[in-house]
Amino acid sequence: MALWGEIARRFGYLGRRSRFERELDDEVRFHIESRADELEQEGVPRAEAILRARREFGSSLRAREETRSAWQFHWFEDLGADLRYAARAFRRSPSFALTAICCLALGIGVNTTIFSVAMEVLFSQPSCRDPRSLAHVSIGGMDWIPMTEYRFIRDAHIFEGIAGINIQRVTQWSDGNNSYKLAATRLTEDFFQVTGVPFAMGRPIQKGEVDVTVLTDGFWRRHLSADPHVLGRKLVLDGRLFTVIGVLPPGHRTLVGFGFMPDLFVPTDPGEVMLYARLPEGTSRQVARARLQSLCQEMDRVYPDANHKWAKDVSVSGVGGLERLLHNGSGFSMMPVAAFFGMLMVVVGLVLLIACANVSSLLLARSFSRSQELAVRFALGGGRGRIVRQLLAESLLLAMCGTAGGLLLDVVLTRLISGMRLPMQWIEFTIQPDWRLLAYSAAVAVTVTLAVGLTPAIRGTRAGIALALKQQDGGAAGRRWSLRNVLVAGQLAVSLVLLSGGLLFIRNLSHATSLNLGFDTTHTLWATFAEQPASCPPARFEKLTKTALDRLTALPGVEAASLARGVPTAMPIWISGSVRADISRHAMRLNYNLNAVGVDYFRTMRIPILRGREFLETDGPGSPPVAIVNENLARLLFGNADPVGHTLLLPDTEEVRIAGVARNSKYSILWEENALAVYRPYAQNRINDAPFVSFLVRASRGPEPLVHAVTKTLAAVDPEAGIEIKTMRDALQPTLLPSRAGAAVFGAMSLLGLALASIGLYGVLLYAVSRRIREIGIRVALGATPARILSMVAGESARLVAVGAAIGLALAVFAVRPLSMFLVPEVRATDPVNFLAVACGLALVAALATVAPTLRALRVDPSVALRHE
Amino acid sequence: MEPSASPELLPGTLYLLILRTLRSGPLHGYAIAKRIKEASRDGLAIEDGSLYPALNRMLVKGWLAATWGISENNRKARFYRLTPEGRAQLEKEAGEFDRMVRAIQLVMRTV
Repeated sequence: MALWGEIARRFGYLGRRSRFERELDDEVRFHIESRADELEQEGVPRAEAILRARREFGSSLRAREETRSAWQFHWFEDLGADLRYAARAFRRSPSFALTAICCLALGIGVNTTIFSVAMEVLFSQPSCRDPRSLAHVSIGGMDWIPMTEYRFIRDAHIFEGIAGINIQRVTQWSDGNNSYKLAATRLTEDFFQVTGVPFAMGRPIQKGEVDVTVLTDGFWRRHLSADPHVLGRKLVLDGRLFTVIGVLPPGHRTLVGFGFMPDLFVPTDPGEVMLYARLPEGTSRQVARARLQSLCQEMDRVYPDANHKWAKDVSVSGVGGLERLLHNGSGFSMMPVAAFFGMLMVVVGLVLLIACANVSSLLLARSFSRSQELAVRFALGGGRGRIVRQLLAESLLLAMCGTAGGLLLDVVLTRLISGMRLPMQWIEFTIQPDWRLLAYSAAVAVTVTLAVGLTPAIRGTRAGIALALKQQDGGAAGRRWSLRNVLVAGQLAVSLVLLSGGLLFIRNLSHATSLNLGFDTTHTLWATFAEQPASCPPARFEKLTKTALDRLTALPGVEAASLARGVPTAMPIWISGSVRADISRHAMRLNYNLNAVGVDYFRTMRIPILRGREFLETDGPGSPPVAIVNENLARLLFGNADPVGHTLLLPDTEEVRIAGVARNSKYSILWEENALAVYRPYAQNRINDAPFVSFLVRASRGPEPLVHAVTKTLAAVDPEAGIEIKTMRDALQPTLLPSRAGAAVFGAMSLLGLALASIGLYGVLLYAVSRRIREIGIRVALGATPARILSMVAGESARLVAVGAAIGLALAVFAVRPLSMFLVPEVRATDPVNFLAVACGLALVAALATVAPTLRALRVDPSVALRHE
Repeated sequence: MEPSASPELLPGTLYLLILRTLRSGPLHGYAIAKRIKEASRDGLAIEDGSLYPALNRMLVKGWLAATWGISENNRKARFYRLTPEGRAQLEKEAGEFDRMVRAIQLVMRTV
């Protein structure tokens, strides 16, 4: 207690030092004058009295010094002095300081940037009122709950409020000239009341309101040019008029998290929803979960389903941070994302380690060349501890400057990222520096200080007076493996590990680009064709699409054309529900890809039909319903038996007869395996009535020249239609994004690591040469040939590289194994070719770093060198 | 002119003397020195140079508090007064001092 008071008072002093000095002066003057007054009263003349009073007081300087020291933190002020001294030392060797600070700033900058992004993506809190009492609810092991069940739970009133959202819906918006696809999150009407999302403008959607919409800041800025009078403006969405009643503030974070950001929110029937509940005050999640569990049991009695029980796997989990990561509502696991960031943190940690090793070896070199200065300080009575502290102050100063530079880099990079809307649509990050970043970078700075400074400081002061005064070299002569060599070999090893990972990601990207997706991507064009539902009843839409397809097929250069509701990997449709094959007794609850496709679909997309037949013109609305399944589904339901001719009972439809089996292909993402798929004829099942279809056109040569002709043809069918045309290759860009991002980030980090390590190698070699100039001079004078000198310097480099590479390879073999979860099956993490290539690359860069020091050694002139020092 | 024979203070007693002097009320630095000198009938003279460091150390410890005021000779002066902690410290130190003096006297008389 008393101690804290004392520390607080001392800190108070630090804040008002100049006032303190003034007051002390006043006080001393008062003392002397009072004494003089007294003497004057005794009859001493004024001038004499003052002189005497001064003499009696003694040295006022000493009194003041001692008084001041009563208040000071000695170590604190000493630290200040040490830092000032270090700053002066750095000003004398600016190139050293600049190199060291740049190395650290790069290392720390990439570190804090990845930290910022990871924190934002993984652990950010959503923007809502009191996130702690808000919970994400899932029942029956499912995150997506049909509206009937939602209403059942809502009307039981076990929560203070429960609302649902559907984030998977897309809406067509036309602004008069163009038509855009927007991410429209559909809400239950009380969503904003339950969550308490803050608004920038306007008001939330109220109960019972229809045809109103709330915009996100990004959409408002990008598409409505931040119109300040946007409230009340009407937007045409899917052919219906919606009134804008509110705008969310910039920096809004959705409940779903992970950067997901729709364009707008509408209270249209969501179909199925993810549930968010507001817990009543004082109710814990456990209690809420127990109540929900019994409610679900009741629900299972009311809506009996032999295959699925809602009361199974009921969960009530938090909406922010770690809990959202573990129980997120988006329907697929976020663990790979978390693992990716975890791996990135390791990678940038390694880059920082390399940077630290660089700076550390620079400092080590400095402490050797400063041995004379240190010796003088020892001789003058400086304690070793005091000198170590002085040297640590230097690395602290470096670390602080490096951290400042790194934070600057961080802010610039994260601001770049924050402004972007990622090409994998509807992802947007708001990254702001916060206390977590500050705490993290402070921790990094301290770690760096110790990592960088401790070894050189202890090493540099170990020699003591005698050795240092004799100007002996503490490291170069005699000892092959000085600490600096160890550091460089270590750096090379670590950068080899980084390079191995980086190369894997780059190879992954090239494979992913050329990967066989199971359908053709090089010759296919994809055109979407959308009409306003209000102006286009299904019959008219059918006529339009038929005309369009006929005209497309007739275009010159078109080999085949077809239509479909979904497009693999670009616009997949997933269904989950019970599926029953006629040979099995029970239905299975499956998650499968569904597509409604036209007659020539398989021929257009080049997906082989392995058994049975394609869809034909005769599979019309009146004829018996048929389906084509993929190999995975056939094997799952029928084993090795031929499924053609058997029937399937699909959810929400009649029984369908299997007409054929199609080869497996990719449906949503590149690394999916064992995905199930069902195709239905477009003429029999259009999945829903929205007037929207995709045309797929196969060109006999490259698809690009056809873009114009296809656009013109479709526009001629109906000028009012919303049309969007891409080559299949372009449409796949978002699918490739994770590979691309991984390759870019990982590749960049490993190159940065290699660059830092080679600077380190260069520095060590150059330093070694400069210390041995005299020795080299003697050797040359005694008749050493240039070849001999060359082999001496290059030999040292080769030894370092060989040791570093060997250690690095041994580490890399184990370190890259976990990466295989991010790689397409074709790229194997343990491929020896990979390691060989990396080792060669490292050797090449090392050879480049050796050139300059070797030249320097070769240019040594014995007559000059012998006079050296 | 200087009382050359003023004995050196026992270590640590300066704090005690200052605390004791301030018990009756706030005083400025000069008055403290004067009061001690007078009370000891010139037997104890605090070196002026050591008074202010001591006062400041006591401020740091929280035994004293200081405020600026006007002195009896109409000058701006800094007045020190005891804080509750200072009062407690005075009692503690005074008790210890008494015990020590008595012990020393006992030794001096008997041996």
